[in-house]
Amino acid sequence: MFQNKARSHTSPDYILLGVIISLLLIGVIMVYSSSYVWAEYKFGDAWYYVKRQVLFAGVGVAAMLFVMKIPYSTWKKYARVILLACFILLFLVLIPGIGMVRGGAQSWIGIGAFSIQPSEFMKLGLIIFLSAFLATKQKYITSLKQGFLPSIMLIFTAFGLIMLQPDLGTGMVLVLTCMILVFAAGARLSHFFGLALLGLIGFVGLIASAPYRISRITAFLNPWEDPLGDGFQIIQSLYAIGPGGLMGLGFGNSLQKYFYLPEPQTDFIFAILGEELGFIGGTIVLLLFLLLLWRGIKVSLEAPDLFSRFLALGIVSMLAIQAMINISVVIGLIPVTGITLPFLSYGGSSLTLILCSVGILLNISRYTKI
Amino acid sequence: MKRVSAVTTKKRIVAVFLIGLLIFTVIDIRLGYVQFVIGDKLMGQANELWTRDIEFEPERGNILDSNGEVLAENVTAPSVVVVPRQVDKPEETAKNLSNILDISYDKAYEYVTRNASSVNIHPDGRKIDEKQETAIRTLNMDGVYLSKDSKRHYPYGDDLSHVIGFAGIDNQGLMGLELFYDDKLSGDKGSLSFYSDAKGRRLDRLADEYSPPKDGLDLKTTINTKVQTIMERELDLAESKYHPDGAVAIAVNPKTGGILGMTSRPNFHPENYQEVDSDVFDRNLPIWSTYEPGSTFKIITLAAALEEKVVDLENDHFHDDGDISVGGTELHCWKSGGHGHQSYLEVVQNSCNPGFVSLGQMLGKEKLFSYINSFGFGKKTGIDLQGEGNGILFKPENVGPVELATTAFGQGVSVTPIQQVMAVAAAVNGGYLYEPYIAEEWIDPKTKKTTEKVEPTMKKKVISESTSKEIRHALESVVAQGTGRPAYVDGYRVGGKTGTAQKVGPDGRYMENNYVVSFIGFAPADDPEIVVYVAVDNPKDTVQFGGVVAAPIVGTIIGDSLRAMEVEPRKGGLDKEYQWPEEPKVEVPDLVGLDKEELTEYMTNLSIETSGKGDYIIDQAPSPGTKVEQGSKIRIYLSENNR
Repeated sequence: MFQNKARSHTSPDYILLGVIISLLLIGVIMVYSSSYVWAEYKFGDAWYYVKRQVLFAGVGVAAMLFVMKIPYSTWKKYARVILLACFILLFLVLIPGIGMVRGGAQSWIGIGAFSIQPSEFMKLGLIIFLSAFLATKQKYITSLKQGFLPSIMLIFTAFGLIMLQPDLGTGMVLVLTCMILVFAAGARLSHFFGLALLGLIGFVGLIASAPYRISRITAFLNPWEDPLGDGFQIIQSLYAIGPGGLMGLGFGNSLQKYFYLPEPQTDFIFAILGEELGFIGGTIVLLLFLLLLWRGIKVSLEAPDLFSRFLALGIVSMLAIQAMINISVVIGLIPVTGITLPFLSYGGSSLTLILCSVGILLNISRYTKI
Repeated sequence: MKRVSAVTTKKRIVAVFLIGLLIFTVIDIRLGYVQFVIGDKLMGQANELWTRDIEFEPERGNILDSNGEVLAENVTAPSVVVVPRQVDKPEETAKNLSNILDISYDKAYEYVTRNASSVNIHPDGRKIDEKQETAIRTLNMDGVYLSKDSKRHYPYGDDLSHVIGFAGIDNQGLMGLELFYDDKLSGDKGSLSFYSDAKGRRLDRLADEYSPPKDGLDLKTTINTKVQTIMERELDLAESKYHPDGAVAIAVNPKTGGILGMTSRPNFHPENYQEVDSDVFDRNLPIWSTYEPGSTFKIITLAAALEEKVVDLENDHFHDDGDISVGGTELHCWKSGGHGHQSYLEVVQNSCNPGFVSLGQMLGKEKLFSYINSFGFGKKTGIDLQGEGNGILFKPENVGPVELATTAFGQGVSVTPIQQVMAVAAAVNGGYLYEPYIAEEWIDPKTKKTTEKVEPTMKKKVISESTSKEIRHALESVVAQGTGRPAYVDGYRVGGKTGTAQKVGPDGRYMENNYVVSFIGFAPADDPEIVVYVAVDNPKDTVQFGGVVAAPIVGTIIGDSLRAMEVEPRKGGLDKEYQWPEEPKVEVPDLVGLDKEELTEYMTNLSIETSGKGDYIIDQAPSPGTKVEQGSKIRIYLSENNR
């Protein structure tokens, strides 16, 4: 029912492109506002982070425009190679001496600024591979042994490797994104229920074997019980957002960025945004992400074939889930996991990779049929 | 194998979108919750986090006497505050501070590097002197501040020490009025709060918030410094003369219950309270101590008997043969052999115990004790000072004939000095029992306007005006003609009553040769302006009688105080009846204008001291007409020219 060789016959989704550029601009501005105090203190240069962020964004946009030109079918062709490369990287990062430890997790490979996070690559790599796998083997997906279980095992192998670093945030994004793909591909709901039941039993087992774990969860629910320990980041984050109110304290007027909220330009950039731009600013960013989700889903629904449909869905789900998790952490909905807010948080390699994914999405949008 | 249709896939993708929409909605609702619902609470907490407060101490209110004379005030003495994060050179700063404040270098270094937003150097850096202040101002070290601070100063030193009390290093009231009225005197702290970053550095772009301290109110008391000074002087004299175990003096205004003066020995200097045994300042004897009142208590028996009209002072008579038998017990009069045949007025004048026993018997137990209760004995008077005693009365069910008899002349009951003063004040002021008080007015220190004025509290009308008048007359005659003669003051119609009370020793028995001798006096008898009570505990080298030891002190206090209070001298009082060995006083002649040579004619029974040079007398002290003891000194002032 799909054309085998879809041709690019439309221009890319400019609304999607506009959303991405808007988020990037907001990101650059907020990175400046949230980082200059810290940058001035650490490097004696208030512009230290924002200069780099502009550079990364530029490189990222260039990469995005470049990837946008690559026909999406190329990714299907190299899906196995890409997955294999990602797994190798994921193994390598665990080897002491090769992988670098930052912030308590051995997640980085490379030298200085040219370092990458293999788990970031694995997210995209697995989306590409699963999209290809599910597109070709869609008829087996209702089968537990031939479709559902192999997908699940692949996903959890990657998740397990990522958790060895450990990097719970990225791992969660990866699992949730891939589950959406398996779900969309048509897996039986009973299989999901079975999986959920297994997960529940495992969860109960973990708590039964070590009841202190329940206190971790309650600690999240009341961060003020341990304001200098586990609760520290979330309290500081809420102290930023709370005073923001409707209109915020005004651009540049955050007080929490004065060393109260550590490294505010990365994972907690949304907190500073909420403080300076208020509920209105926060809602605009949420609407942009919702718009991104909507345009991405639209691309997926109108995609020319199953592979591109899954690939578009996977990419947009990954971005949306990552944004949801990040913002939920910042506003105290879920415990701190440690992932960046796509397009807004300061960060080189992850931003470039995210923009490459968007490039793939934009490429697919050129093939959409109305 | 069931083939999955494209429709299923699309439906599921739409479902993913809808779930995503739902989650984004939940997130936005939560964002709104954080920013609107708990936003204010978080803002408050965050503000505490962002701001550093520098506290400003309010000025403690002054304590004044009734004429505005300062009894307690503040003198400035700054304190050192260190903000460690602003200290650039901790070593140098610590060295300077250790030199100036005379603390060890290590201690100073610990202060300037402590992990705190601001550090008080306590106590070495508190309330520093002028030299230290100048040194710190000159060095102008980063992160070292001087906060305005003050310490309490009591211009009258150890005068009135138990009443004023004292305040501690944090200007907190610890005793006396300073404690009782601490809330009003201390005011409210102010602060300068500035925004700072998490490293404690000040954020200049946000304005500081200053809330000024609210100074404490000035307390104007009922105390009359002149009266107080006179009382202090007299107790000092009594102390050096009799070396007593303790002494108490109280003066009140019988028309209001306002305390004019109150002192006791031993006393202390409030600025050095730390060097004094805490028993000394904890026990404000005039309100704390309880002891048998002795004969001063007879005034109450007299008041009850007169009010109940059981006796006519002039026309009823009593024969005292030295003792009286009550319920099989012999009670003795203080004068062995007794006072013989007397009118009841003479019973009062002679303080005759059997006579008062007969009054008690005429009244009966119920009536006598109901008057004792009405006059306020057995319960706190309610004076505005802490640490007041209750006193002890016989329980009504335990009162037999003996207890009734001894109570009638002041034995077997235990009262506080302030209770006696207030009761006697009620007996002589027309019958009004007042609550004693010291705080008279609260004055705003800036506007000098009175914010609150305390009205006298009349607790009870205990006897009638006419009874009160009779008592005044009887007590005036005690001073003019009876045991109270040494309290006589020419021109001021003093009335009063002596008291010599036995003390109960540690073994529960009366001690030998160890008495509390007291006198309670008032004047002028026609319209009393002052009631003065003096008790001296175990005076040495004297006859332990109230009339001998305490009465002259009360006389002097009343005389000098009424003159200081500018009360008009009276005429028509009872004349003093002289007894051997007392000699009548002589009048000072008018010497002004006379030649020095002429003096010899006048000076028979007075001695002369001169000041100045010359032949003519231009002034003299005391002034002409004053009655002085025979042999007293007269000072004359000489000049070359006769004006």
